[in-house]
Amino acid sequence: MKLYKNKLSVLMLVIAVSAGCTKLNEGLGNSNSFVYNATGGSSNAAGVLISAYGDLNGVFHGQDQLFSLEENTTDECLVPTRGGDWDDNGVWRVLHAHSWDATHGQSASVFNNLGALEADATTVLASSPTPEQAAEATFLRSLAQFYYLDLYGQVPYRTIAGFNGIDAAPVMTAAQAVDTLIANLTGIIPTLSSSNQNYQASPNAARFLLMKVLLNKQAFLNRATPAAADPSDMAQVYALGAAITGYTLTTNYFDNFGPNNGSFGGPNTGGVSTELIFAYPNNGTATNANGTSNGGIDARWMMGLHYNSWDQNNTYGSAGWNGFSTIADLYNAFDATDTRKGNVPYPAPNAVGVSPVSGLNVGLAEGQQFNERDTIIKDRKGNPLVFAPTVALTETNVATLEGDGIRVMKYYPDYAHYTSTASNQLAFFRYADVILMMAEADLRGASGGSGDALTLVNQVHLARGAAPLATITLVNTSNLYDPTTLIAERQKELYFESWRRQDLIRFGAFLLPWALKTADDPKYLLFPIPATQLIANPNLKQNPGY
Amino acid sequence: MTITRLLAKFALLLLCVLFTQIAFSQTKVITGKVLDDKGSPVQGATVTAKGSKSGTSTDASGSFSLNVAATARTIVVSSVGFGQQEISITDKTSVNVSLVPSSQSLNDVVVIGYGTSQRRDVTGAIASVRSKDFDKGVVSPEELLIGKVAGVQIANNSGQPGGTTITKIRGNNSIVSGNNPLYVIDGVPIDATSPLPPNLISAIGTSPSNNPLLFLNPGDISEITVLKDASSSAIYGARGENGVVLITLNKGNGKMNVDAGVNYSTYAGLMRQPDILSASQYRSELAVYGQKSDSGLSLNPFKQILQNKPSTVYSVALSGGSENGKFRASFSASDKQGIILKSGLTQYNASFSGEHSFLDKRLKVNFQFIGSNYTLQSAPISNDAGSNGNLISAAMNWNPTLALVENGVYNQANPSGQINPLALSAYSDDYSNVTQLLGIGGVSFKIFKDLTYNFLFGISTAAASRDAQLQGYVLGTGAPVGGGGQTSEARLSTQTITHTLTYDKHLDNGLSFRILAGYEFYQTSNLKYNTTTITGFKFNTTGGASYPNIAYYNDMGAGNQATLATNSVAPPKSQLQSYFARGEVNYKDRYHLTATIRADGSTKFGTDNRYGYFPSFGAGWSVLNESFMKKNTLFSTLDLRVGWGQVGGQDGLAAGYSQILATPTTAGGVSRAHVANSDLKWETLTSANAGIDYGFLNNRVFGYLDVFSKKTTNPLFPGTLSEPQSGAGATIWKNLPGYVTNKGFEFSIGVAIIRNKDVTWNVNLNVEYVKNKFVFPALGGSPLQLTGGVDGQGVSSAYAQAIANNQPIDVFYLREFQKFDQNGIAVTNGQASHYVGDPNPHVILGFNTDVNYKKLSLQINTHGTFGNKIFNNTLVSVTNLGNIANGKNISKTLIGTQESLANPVSASTRFLQSGNYMKLGNATLSYNLGSFGNIIKGSRIFITGSNLFEITKYTGFDAEVNQDHNNAGIPSLGMDYIGYPTARQITFGVNFSLY
Repeated sequence: MKLYKNKLSVLMLVIAVSAGCTKLNEGLGNSNSFVYNATGGSSNAAGVLISAYGDLNGVFHGQDQLFSLEENTTDECLVPTRGGDWDDNGVWRVLHAHSWDATHGQSASVFNNLGALEADATTVLASSPTPEQAAEATFLRSLAQFYYLDLYGQVPYRTIAGFNGIDAAPVMTAAQAVDTLIANLTGIIPTLSSSNQNYQASPNAARFLLMKVLLNKQAFLNRATPAAADPSDMAQVYALGAAITGYTLTTNYFDNFGPNNGSFGGPNTGGVSTELIFAYPNNGTATNANGTSNGGIDARWMMGLHYNSWDQNNTYGSAGWNGFSTIADLYNAFDATDTRKGNVPYPAPNAVGVSPVSGLNVGLAEGQQFNERDTIIKDRKGNPLVFAPTVALTETNVATLEGDGIRVMKYYPDYAHYTSTASNQLAFFRYADVILMMAEADLRGASGGSGDALTLVNQVHLARGAAPLATITLVNTSNLYDPTTLIAERQKELYFESWRRQDLIRFGAFLLPWALKTADDPKYLLFPIPATQLIANPNLKQNPGY
Repeated sequence: MTITRLLAKFALLLLCVLFTQIAFSQTKVITGKVLDDKGSPVQGATVTAKGSKSGTSTDASGSFSLNVAATARTIVVSSVGFGQQEISITDKTSVNVSLVPSSQSLNDVVVIGYGTSQRRDVTGAIASVRSKDFDKGVVSPEELLIGKVAGVQIANNSGQPGGTTITKIRGNNSIVSGNNPLYVIDGVPIDATSPLPPNLISAIGTSPSNNPLLFLNPGDISEITVLKDASSSAIYGARGENGVVLITLNKGNGKMNVDAGVNYSTYAGLMRQPDILSASQYRSELAVYGQKSDSGLSLNPFKQILQNKPSTVYSVALSGGSENGKFRASFSASDKQGIILKSGLTQYNASFSGEHSFLDKRLKVNFQFIGSNYTLQSAPISNDAGSNGNLISAAMNWNPTLALVENGVYNQANPSGQINPLALSAYSDDYSNVTQLLGIGGVSFKIFKDLTYNFLFGISTAAASRDAQLQGYVLGTGAPVGGGGQTSEARLSTQTITHTLTYDKHLDNGLSFRILAGYEFYQTSNLKYNTTTITGFKFNTTGGASYPNIAYYNDMGAGNQATLATNSVAPPKSQLQSYFARGEVNYKDRYHLTATIRADGSTKFGTDNRYGYFPSFGAGWSVLNESFMKKNTLFSTLDLRVGWGQVGGQDGLAAGYSQILATPTTAGGVSRAHVANSDLKWETLTSANAGIDYGFLNNRVFGYLDVFSKKTTNPLFPGTLSEPQSGAGATIWKNLPGYVTNKGFEFSIGVAIIRNKDVTWNVNLNVEYVKNKFVFPALGGSPLQLTGGVDGQGVSSAYAQAIANNQPIDVFYLREFQKFDQNGIAVTNGQASHYVGDPNPHVILGFNTDVNYKKLSLQINTHGTFGNKIFNNTLVSVTNLGNIANGKNISKTLIGTQESLANPVSASTRFLQSGNYMKLGNATLSYNLGSFGNIIKGSRIFITGSNLFEITKYTGFDAEVNQDHNNAGIPSLGMDYIGYPTARQITFGVNFSLY
């Protein structure tokens, strides 16, 4: 018995020891994560490059992202609070009224999303890329840095060696950022393949971005009072524009934004738009040709359309979100014959016509709304749905608050993919802008310029069905809508394309009073650095006034 | 280390012991009967020979038969709830024992983690609830604690049968974790993660999680012990921060018997009615606001989504064995129907436990096996529905003058595009099925007289599936055309291996000590799941063919294959390796000292901080055992306790955050998910506790008073990284240089007002007062993070709560509503938000009473919280005034306000309401029928009412509410938004035993 007990004790001891201590290692083998290794070479670089292109999705598509910061702060866009809708703790109203503060969530969100784009592009550069991959990544990194500079006036970045750093990122001043952007973009133009498709970085896309940097250079360096442009910079803008070839103005203006606007077979082929230099390649399926996910381009129409605007079977619950509007000044700025104003039916030749399906007009949708059977649409309270030009930041009249405000149907709905996977490509860079930038460079005194600013502007003007202009100047600060000014022409061509805030600042007009915005403070020329970033990165300095 | 190796060894061991000869020595048999003070038999009383560890238990007739050594002089009889008695057996073979009740007797044995102790030896803040005090008709184990233990706050996240709760012990310790305690079942810590994959197809938002403890049948539980302070929970180290709940399961008592019971429940309506307008009120409000949406009928749409199907629970338990071997097997089957259409819970739970002693009781082998299968049917109700709402908002909003069904067809042509609640219910399905197994094996071996080795191996595994569909018939949800279907599965498994050595020594000079040393290894796979969804079906849609018996999830191939989406989530597993020790010293039952230390190594922590060390100390003084108190007649109990300890917290931290992780994406992309922090470590809770256990007048008045102070340092937080970082707003988990405090006291008093042969009346009151604060001066006045997301139309990206310096955790952070201006538009105190209210209750109260008259007894249990605020998100964006202009129903509270229909929907203090409530949670009337012949014994019938009523000014369904409105993983507290309502339930039951 005693012997047996001893044996048992030994057995217990063996079990105890064999089940004993172990070395603790975090086991990742059976999970869907791995430890990222940048030395995987160009195949890793290819993977991260797709992610970097994918990062363009959210920050450019979302109605509450970069688009909101660049448009709602201007004289062409606002999101009125309509009774129960669109208060959202006032975030939209403060943008239009220029009274936002350092806690503004959209400003913080854009800051972070630009960081994601810049970081992924930098990761490509650190992952032994091919020269072509490196050039594309540099383009995307520059794009992120350009918008940091534009919105926040300072540019956090990571060095290539420090791509993985979690320490406080170094920060470029505006002057350093301008120099860096010019050097990097100039450097990649020869390397990028000219056969790249319009959703890839191409030499023309790099030229376009470089033109923007050069044009805005003086505003970036001193927003309150930009110095006169350097004639040699303007000459370079003109020359870069002239080098962008292979594009023409699209015959029908709204074809640039429709469900089949984009090209998929090669640069500028296949789609009905002939102007897309750089675009996000939504194609009607979940995954785009370059491996990125379909973007939420439907936000561009849903943000404005009324709930009852179109929905034959009430299939989606509502056709839109009944928010974003423009103000009468833009609507009134157009010539009677200017096709860019829209508010006209838009039948075939598109495979899926807009107006025959829904009764919706493209462009600036104003007035009583009709459905496809030509009967009037009513709002949720049973009143006729009238998109009226008058609008207030907070709508108070119960009878009209759902209808007030002209809606912008520039990107008109893809009825084949209404709420998801729409096939309208999002145009980042469009050829018409190239022509207008060349005209601007000329007006701003490009050395050795051709003096053909008026010809260039009229080239666009005529293509859009408007009467030719006799004179052209940069801006009339007592009338932003003076038809003989370039800033007015740019607005008519590029409204709701996320350029208006930058233009107003560059033309020295951002602090002027306009509809539903009165006195202003120069601090609104820049957005605040998010508080969490100030804590995380002492190299960032809060912009003055916040 | 592999399971197979371990099991092989375990089997070998079993084989060895089965061949053991069991030694017999000279014995005699003592028989007897144990009765209570009223003469009723006491079942389950423990009878042992004094000085011997061997014993037996009484059967339902109170009878026992015990083999004792021929030399034995005295037997000891004890039973839960009664004072222990010593009876001389010199020259006797039969005795009758009458026990005297004593709640919270100091001789009671309490579970303290890795062992047991006598209550008098306990120096920490520990409270127990035993099965005789359990509420009837309870679905999940933690609900048994509601209102019973001071310092424990429990609130429902959802009224759905099987819905989860939050359980907070002594306040809110952590910013990031849900603050739920660690659950330990018969010594095995479990991973209290709900094993369900998410529902991705409902189009109405995130469904509330289900209760992770559903696999435990409350009827199998004999006792629940709560370790409230760090001096008692430090033995659980890095997981002890939020307190520990030790669940002890019923075991066989050595006598053959069968216990059986049947419960039958029915609903008696909602506990509180929704605060929406009736049809006639709606009509008069339409007139007030000049609206024309009167369609002529008078309906109560909310009533239409309610059902009253009976719920039934059948349970049977068989136990038996002999002196050396005991077993218990139980089985229960239940079908619990929810009060909302198409919601319910069907459960099958089985357990089997056994214990056998060998080698003169030197070796004990025990095992416990629990198998559970349950099916949860969820109604389309969510935490965070957007502007389209969910079933609850659809029913609350439905125009009460408009037909829900016309000519047998659901009316879905509502002009405002709202959802028909009956159509939503009829055409959506969500079934989750979970199979969960918990196996525990243990070996206890007495190496020497005072030295015992214990081995415990626990394995828990859960496999779940979830099938859901939203048929294309439903309009207005924002769901894709052609509806959607989902199939999904999930797995979760944990393993625990524990070795302990206990040295228990009693010296003749009155000094006794007990030393415990142990090693534990714990591993959890973390919840792993796969989901497949598809949309665009061509049948069961408006205009499509109708195949009523075919659910989309059973025919996924018939969807539009271009929309097929699959997703797998497989987090890294996490491991914990621990070394611990405890020393207890008792001098003449007067002075008690306890010290513990635990070293925890966790894979969740950074490489530079793998191991954490958690010490605790406690001291107790049993004043009455002092010689100078011998003449005392006033006090029957007087024990003083002080304790100090440190525990860790790692719950809020998912595995893998100490490394840079990346996941491959579609088409070969790579996305970096986590950023490494090799310094990352647990958050540390330091707690001090001082308490007194008191009893007067032969314990006619008894209770305790505890004062505590807790401080959580190095709180874990997902901080924002300096941009640029891969992944928008990339986070890095770090330990913040701030801290969280919880200070307060607990008071419990029980009074036996009447204690005589025919009538007893007891009352018990327990109260906790706690004050919570987060301190991080570097923040200044701005919030560290917003949370408490406000949902619905018009409040996108709005938050109601914040984590901020010098404020309670989750403090309400809102614009202050002042008045309506002349246009009826709300005026607030500027555009800025302010810190305006505390969602943490300051006072948590439980009040229970029982009255017994002969065989009839009545138990009433009430509980409540005070000092907290609730944000009524439903009132903000579902039943707001503007909706009457959209043909929707609105809240009754809006009658007669100055508000304009054009008033913006916005979050403000206008919707912050007092969360004070007192709820009659459970009332049970039972009658002890006694025995029928010699076969049926101890039969008892009862009727229980649950959630009978609530006294509160809160205008939602239930002030006992806490929905998950987290922001980026930072939990919220006290948010209420179109959740599953609380129902009043009546249960009839009968229990009896067979011999």
